[in-house]
Amino acid sequence: MNALKRTVLFDSHVKLGATLVDFGGWEMPVNYPSGMVEEHLYTRKKAGIFDVSHMGRFVISGREAVKFLQYVLTNNVLAVDIMQAQYTMIPNENGGAIDDAYLYRFYEDEYLLVVNAANIEKDWEHLNREIKRFDAQIADRSKELAMISVQGPESKNIIKKLFGSDFLTEPLKNALGILDYGGKEVLIARTGYTGEPLGFELFLSAGDAAAVWARLLDLGAMAIGLGARDTLRLEAGLPLYGHELGLDADGCEIPIFSCPLARFAVSFADAKGSYIGREALLKQFQGYQKIMERNFADLSDLKRIVRPIALTGRGVARAGCKVFKGDKEVGYVTSATMVPYLKTEGNGLESRITDEKAMRAIGLALVDGDIEPDDNVEVEIRGNKVAAVIAPYHLKSDAPPFARPIIYGVEAGRKFESAPDYRSKALNLLEKSLYNTRWRQSETINLIPSEQSHSPAVRLLSVMDPSFRYAEHKKTKSFYDYDVFYYQGTGFIDEVEHLLKEELKTYFQCAEVETRVISGQMANAAVFSALVDYKNRVNRKRDAVRLGYVLNNHIIRGGHLSAQPMGALRDYIAVDPLTEKTAVVNFPVEKDNNFKIDVEETKKIIAQYKPELIIFGKSMVLHREPVREIRKFVDEQGINTVIMYDMAHVLGLAGDYFQDPFAEGADIVTGSTHKTFFGPQRGIIAGNYRKEDHRYDLWETIETRAFPGSVSNHHLGTLLGLLMAAYEMNYFKDEYQKNVINNAKHFAKCLSDAGLSVAGDPSISFTETHQVIVRVGYGAGPEVANRLEDNNIIVNYQATPEEEGFTASGAIRLGVAEMTRFGFGYQEFEQTAELMADVILRNKNVKEDVRKLRGSYTNMKYCFTDDDVIKELEKLKSFL
Amino acid sequence: MKIVEGLKYSSDHEWIKAEGKTAYVGITDYAQHSLGDIVYVELPEVGAKISKNSAFGVVESVKAASDVFLPVSGTIIKVNEALTEDPALINRDAFENWMVQIEMDDPKELDQLMSASEYKEICIE
Repeated sequence: MNALKRTVLFDSHVKLGATLVDFGGWEMPVNYPSGMVEEHLYTRKKAGIFDVSHMGRFVISGREAVKFLQYVLTNNVLAVDIMQAQYTMIPNENGGAIDDAYLYRFYEDEYLLVVNAANIEKDWEHLNREIKRFDAQIADRSKELAMISVQGPESKNIIKKLFGSDFLTEPLKNALGILDYGGKEVLIARTGYTGEPLGFELFLSAGDAAAVWARLLDLGAMAIGLGARDTLRLEAGLPLYGHELGLDADGCEIPIFSCPLARFAVSFADAKGSYIGREALLKQFQGYQKIMERNFADLSDLKRIVRPIALTGRGVARAGCKVFKGDKEVGYVTSATMVPYLKTEGNGLESRITDEKAMRAIGLALVDGDIEPDDNVEVEIRGNKVAAVIAPYHLKSDAPPFARPIIYGVEAGRKFESAPDYRSKALNLLEKSLYNTRWRQSETINLIPSEQSHSPAVRLLSVMDPSFRYAEHKKTKSFYDYDVFYYQGTGFIDEVEHLLKEELKTYFQCAEVETRVISGQMANAAVFSALVDYKNRVNRKRDAVRLGYVLNNHIIRGGHLSAQPMGALRDYIAVDPLTEKTAVVNFPVEKDNNFKIDVEETKKIIAQYKPELIIFGKSMVLHREPVREIRKFVDEQGINTVIMYDMAHVLGLAGDYFQDPFAEGADIVTGSTHKTFFGPQRGIIAGNYRKEDHRYDLWETIETRAFPGSVSNHHLGTLLGLLMAAYEMNYFKDEYQKNVINNAKHFAKCLSDAGLSVAGDPSISFTETHQVIVRVGYGAGPEVANRLEDNNIIVNYQATPEEEGFTASGAIRLGVAEMTRFGFGYQEFEQTAELMADVILRNKNVKEDVRKLRGSYTNMKYCFTDDDVIKELEKLKSFL
Repeated sequence: MKIVEGLKYSSDHEWIKAEGKTAYVGITDYAQHSLGDIVYVELPEVGAKISKNSAFGVVESVKAASDVFLPVSGTIIKVNEALTEDPALINRDAFENWMVQIEMDDPKELDQLMSASEYKEICIE
């Protein structure tokens, strides 16, 4: 009889009193004295550590390493950048899985492949056989490298403390890092098998494993056995080889595409060429597409698919139980058990995870392709049929730092009361609006950086007669580009628009301005649309080629969502066929200040990718953008690119006190007109293309993508208001811009002196813009913002560059522009800083103090207030 | 390992507490410990007639389902509903938290079961 194999952590498990079992030939802990239920819940609430050293770790290198891996793995190896990982499968010729695996690229020329413990021999034999035809090598590092998984909301803090490092990896799934442990390298990956949004796997030298394991326990992690590892992955809907992959209950191969993660693990990129199982997989993929499109007529290409299943009746489903729909047997359960969860209280961001345990009987089932989420089915358990339902998923992790169990059938309801009859509804609406306006305009300190208040003149003009009208117009070549209007009664607006253009050209010192877009994101979309159109102007007889590569600020670094593939860029960005990812590359940031673009590293990226569009601009912004430096670089290198600056937040600061975008070499500036700029809520596109430029066609395309591309009615009311705002900006900008930036620096310093943690470079007083970022603790942003709102201080919570997403926000974002406009100066911002510290650090109630402070500052500055103007406003009011 | 005196024990790790013609039946501390966290309990219908050594219910852990056997023949007169709500009660105290109460067909069958000290011995091995 062969003795069971043991990992380097075996003694640690014994010392902890683990219950040991035979797992694929290894003597492993199935649970520790706390039990599987406790271990599962502790991982979800705090952090669990898992000895996964029994898994296989192979290193592939050599001249044809990539070629070899493209041949033996299902996924596209070219999509794995350095410091990235990827889920993949080792296929056989039939499109079944020999194993599922994870590929890690910690070094340029070396790939680490991690495989399941139970399949190590089989995988090793297979890979060694196939590698013979390639100039590549494979080494088994399973013994030298131990592997420990650390998963759960506390995992990041614990690992940071263990290694004394503030930076582990980028806050993105599959990101990698290399840490130092007593002079040795420890590889860290943001990967895991629990569905936790915060989770890491550590690869370390076998000799250090026991010490690191002990330290992790000291720092508050709990040791988790294979039992809870299984319930955690089951809840996350992740496949287990031997259940959802491999052989089915009848001993037949489960097609790879029956496993729902296949679409992330399988690639048909041309770059992969022919690989093991490609033909079979392609056929399966067609079957998968049919199922996803609900085309159930012919499921022969993919008969069955794995779906999450939840019992609605009493009982516990187990692997092997048959699934029925009516009398028809439609499949069987691949994995299932009773899984614990913690109940929550409250809704949305305010939901709180309680300590109250509950159980649910859930699992995964391999069922016919036409069985869909929400279908009611039955599971046969020991001869009895128990009611069940196909669930869309059991767990969601889009609200870090917690993975959230999703109980089938639960809906989060929202109710707003409404009066019984319409007259009362109308009255209530007016009363509530009055209350809301009075509150924000005289009782609160408004520090949301995207917001500004408008002058009475701007507000009133925005609702005068033009707000009911149309004035569509287009430059017509036949009339030497004279504007032709399609409506009557438009003489007034014609003049207004013309004057507005002139004012804005003066403001920006540029050649052209397009004012018909009605939001910042629309302005960006119109520019993207124009760039695609311009790119394809010579050949319109085929599908338009999209933009790529594009260089932007990643949303995590403060880039606005409109410049991301998730926002306006989505319909205009190309997919790079080599990597199968969107052709976007991000500005790298300085190591010591991740709010600042690293100019030297950016130059390298530009030289490598030669982006055709560079988008500067951020919505979390403390510094000027290096437009001048990059313009100089692309001109020197002869790189043909468009430099676009989405100034939205800082539009009102363009000039001597911040930066002059066109003077620095930007081609296009876009923005919303209502943040630091005094306007009503609209958008704007400015360009420096002169009629003589050979690129002037691009500008004209931008104009047509604004109208008729983006709008028909371009909201003439606010257009009129915007002209007054442009007058105000041009007249008062010197005083306003200087005061905003000085106030921001002073405010930042006061907040820091008051004991708060202010982000940015203290040597420049933290900021160069209207914004101040204050760190309040990981995940504490939303609660602090709420508490401040309860005290009439309005800020918004903000995820800083190290944080995973807005629900994990560890900071608040402040802007001084609005209160500067209401007359706040150094003293008032100092008082505000004190009040904020009272709320944030000492949990005091300062609502009355805030009201009093704001109450004395309700007169707006930087607008025309002489008697003649007031008289005209009164006359206008009488027309409401 | 907790073992209560005065009860009778089966080799399948059930205990039985006789009170005249009726008896309470549950699983032992040894059993709950080897099962681990109990996540589900299936109890019989009241009135069911179960013969000696036949399964009267199921106790399920995360990893497996285990039948529970009646040490003597009898009729179910009561089931412990609390276990439906909170199966982990058996883990907390296997002897306090009985599973069923039966009316025994033949109390003399109790003599074929083990005493506390006899049961203790089979647990040690």
